[in-house]
Amino acid sequence: MSDPGAAHVPAPTGKGFGRVLVAVYGIFALAATSRSAVQLATDFGDAPLAYLLSAFAAVVYIVATVSLARGDVTSRRLATVAISIELIGVLIVGTASLLFPGAFPKATVWTGFGSGYGFIPLVLPFVGLWWLRHTR
Amino acid sequence: MTGTYATAITVVALLFAGWALISAAANRHPTLLLLAAGVLLETLLLGLAVGGIVQMAGTEHTFARAEFVGYLLGALAILPLAYYWAWGEKSRSGTVVIALAFLITPVMVLRIQQVWAGSVG
Repeated sequence: MSDPGAAHVPAPTGKGFGRVLVAVYGIFALAATSRSAVQLATDFGDAPLAYLLSAFAAVVYIVATVSLARGDVTSRRLATVAISIELIGVLIVGTASLLFPGAFPKATVWTGFGSGYGFIPLVLPFVGLWWLRHTR
Repeated sequence: MTGTYATAITVVALLFAGWALISAAANRHPTLLLLAAGVLLETLLLGLAVGGIVQMAGTEHTFARAEFVGYLLGALAILPLAYYWAWGEKSRSGTVVIALAFLITPVMVLRIQQVWAGSVG
């Protein structure tokens, strides 16, 4: 914006601190994917809501990981959408799992605001959105 | 599941993680020595995977077999992926990525043992 003559090129999102951020997103993509694969394959009927949420979280983490790693203009937009959904998801599922524990007999990555994963799922979207702003 | 061997992997992985974190704190990018450490740990994990599958084939006891193999293969995938992703980064961030891979490895080993024992819900 300060340089109207030249096209503004944002900093890459997958370099420097971004390397670490993408790695952490990758770990959660792996964790959520394997968790949902096992849940869906073995006993889907037990807790369909929790298991579908696990699968949904897995997709969100995969999209966030890949788009942060790529870091071009389209990927940045995609990353912003994915991480915003992640933030909303962890807040809604975290709150709902405390208010209505009966609806979540089996845990997801976002249950209890990610308490099973050291609350990293709660902190991660804030860091992700900050990083996207920071590198803009 | 062989307890001593799994414990040895956990100890080695945690030592390497500590080393990588100290290297990162000292502002070092990933070195060839750190790569050698990863190759050593990966070799140990390969032994765990082969041993685990052989033991699985030789036992009647009931547990989530597909999940067990999935976690064994998942544990093998982590270090190569981490080094691939970290190697292009000639800064401390690359070293932190490798430290994360070392820290995740004991978690995977723990899960492998839990699945073997059949205590995973």
